[in-house]
Amino acid sequence: MLKPLITRRDFLGTSAVAGAGLLLSSCSPDTAPVAPKKSSVNTLRVALIGYGAEGGVLSESLMNLMNTGEIKVVALADIWEYARKKGKNTYKASGFEVNDYENYEDLLAKEKDLQAVIVATPDFWHAPITNACLKAGLHVYCEKMMSNTIEGARSMVQTMRETGKLLQIGHQRRSNPRYVFTFNRLLHQANFCGNITAAQAQWNRAVAKDLTAPKHSEMSADQLTKYGFKDMHQFRNWRWFKGLGGGPLSDLGAHQIDIFNWWMGKAPQSVFASGGLDYYSNHDWYDNAMVVYEYPSTKGIARAFYQVQTTTSAGGGYFEQFMGDDGTIKMSEDPSLCAIYREANATGNWDDMIQKGYVREKEVVEAAKVDVRETAALAQYEIPVFFNKPPHQPHLENFFNAIRGTAKLNCAGDEAFRSEYVIHKANEAIGEQKRIVITPEEVEA
Amino acid sequence: MSEIHVFNHHAMATHFQVRIAGEEKDYAESAAQTAFTLLTRLESHLSRFRVDSDIARIKELKPGEIVRVTEPTFACLQLAKKMELATRGAFSVAATALKTQPTAPQWTLLPESFSIRCDGGKLEFDLGAIGKGFALDRLAEVLREWSCPAFLLVAGGSSILAGEPPAGTNGWSCGLGDDGSAQRYWLANCSLSGSGLAVKGKHIFDPRTGQPAEREERVWALTDTAAESDALSTAAMVLNKNEINDALAQDKSWLIFMNELDAWRCLGSRALPARA
Repeated sequence: MLKPLITRRDFLGTSAVAGAGLLLSSCSPDTAPVAPKKSSVNTLRVALIGYGAEGGVLSESLMNLMNTGEIKVVALADIWEYARKKGKNTYKASGFEVNDYENYEDLLAKEKDLQAVIVATPDFWHAPITNACLKAGLHVYCEKMMSNTIEGARSMVQTMRETGKLLQIGHQRRSNPRYVFTFNRLLHQANFCGNITAAQAQWNRAVAKDLTAPKHSEMSADQLTKYGFKDMHQFRNWRWFKGLGGGPLSDLGAHQIDIFNWWMGKAPQSVFASGGLDYYSNHDWYDNAMVVYEYPSTKGIARAFYQVQTTTSAGGGYFEQFMGDDGTIKMSEDPSLCAIYREANATGNWDDMIQKGYVREKEVVEAAKVDVRETAALAQYEIPVFFNKPPHQPHLENFFNAIRGTAKLNCAGDEAFRSEYVIHKANEAIGEQKRIVITPEEVEA
Repeated sequence: MSEIHVFNHHAMATHFQVRIAGEEKDYAESAAQTAFTLLTRLESHLSRFRVDSDIARIKELKPGEIVRVTEPTFACLQLAKKMELATRGAFSVAATALKTQPTAPQWTLLPESFSIRCDGGKLEFDLGAIGKGFALDRLAEVLREWSCPAFLLVAGGSSILAGEPPAGTNGWSCGLGDDGSAQRYWLANCSLSGSGLAVKGKHIFDPRTGQPAEREERVWALTDTAAESDALSTAAMVLNKNEINDALAQDKSWLIFMNELDAWRCLGSRALPARA
């Protein structure tokens, strides 16, 4: 069996309204635009390792970038023939030919002129694949979680440092123009929230039947064993099994807990949590979790509550909300869920922020009409950023621009490790049923 | 007859249903769930109400600008163009744009780059009259891939796509009109869509004039694919009989049913399916 290292296992194509576009360009960490080029020496040769659900989503953005000539995906690998063929056919249907391989080792052996790889495999393969690719001289974009273990994640940062190659972790909100704009302009420049006193985030999903596979597509028992899976059910549902993934806190929560750290500007000093495997009978990991992180602040402790359920959609929606004594910012990858609220006694005013391009007033239908029989609704404001790309594309662009030397990574391995660490600690807190103290030193890789 | 398993889902602001025959329930459920997962993905690309969909991104194009879209969106727009040509403009995904623009927006598909170029106006597309049918065609691919060929797919009660018949039957019994309609046919490997004004009022616009459809009676289209039946039934709401015959002459696999003054009429040269 192949051996994992671990035990058993931007330019932002953004348009912002009325003056905010320039503001965004200047505040973005990824400021240098790279003009689209058609198949030039600047075209980066890339391979995709893992064509599951996430590999498919990433491919939509990768194909957009292939279309401009910025990159060329020359190969993909997946241990499951069914997924491998689907990936190859999807690229072909979109006009792109790619070579396909069963595993990353074959891919690395045959594809000699690669510059970067995208890793979108089950979590427990992230560290061994990322480390091998970095050592092979390639830059790596690895999906979150970095690893199913803290040790695995730490090894990735160490390899990144040793090889001097780039390692971007797929917390794609870090490059989302709406997040970047709001973080830089509203949260910091306008100090919109004032003192952040609390935060909350959630991602809830309805009950779903465990994934299976079409008839005649199952991998053999030998092949499953070779790649670290007990059976086909475990392979298809690896997220819910210890030793393979990290459960819902890792699968869904990782993105949003990373936003807690990013926007709070630090790691929490402690975590306590409750959760359990209550609903599903054939999973390892908790199917629900409620977590409280404690962040030190100038006004005492700012507590950040995170909830993830895999037993109810709760009406849908996933978001992160930062609440302060002056105002609240609610962010989501779904723009329709983003919102900003200002306390009535907050300092500063909306007009000033509109003038500076930080916010815009929502369009009011039939503004010319006045109904004197009803109290007028308060004016509503919104974040003035629209971008016309799939959510993952800006983060991939940031990675490719960093390879070209025109940008700095928005979520390098060492930065991502701080979030990775506290997510693992939340799972640990549930298991041990106690509050866990986190020191600033231990979140550093 | 083998047991038929029924699975429901909400998407595209309506109700979708997958019926699968000749398969164990557990396996059929997995196949249906995979199909519904794809449906969710398709909606994220095709919905004009999702601000990050392909359709929303297309709407932002200014004349001369180009944007690459996902393969499903491109394929759907290609079919839309085909149906626009076949119906001589009586079907158009830009029909509702005429509510806000004096003339229809102009656009070109660029197959070599899976892109769309705005040639004029604002590309305010509404795939409401083809998107659900297109989705059914894609869902059918999933079910065939899962070796579930005997299926019936329903989108919002207005479009169905029948696969192979359940074992021991002549097809799926499908009626034209309200529940319990006597006008029933055995359908297999074809699609039936209906359009009318009884449920949603005057919501169909003639893309050639910008005026609401005047036809009072419902129209049904029987074709091989659901995208075609969905679009053709909508177009038939604004076409007169001569125009419908012209459109049907271009594709022998198309059939139109009309009910005028309680008399059923069939247009087109496709053989009628057997009465159920």
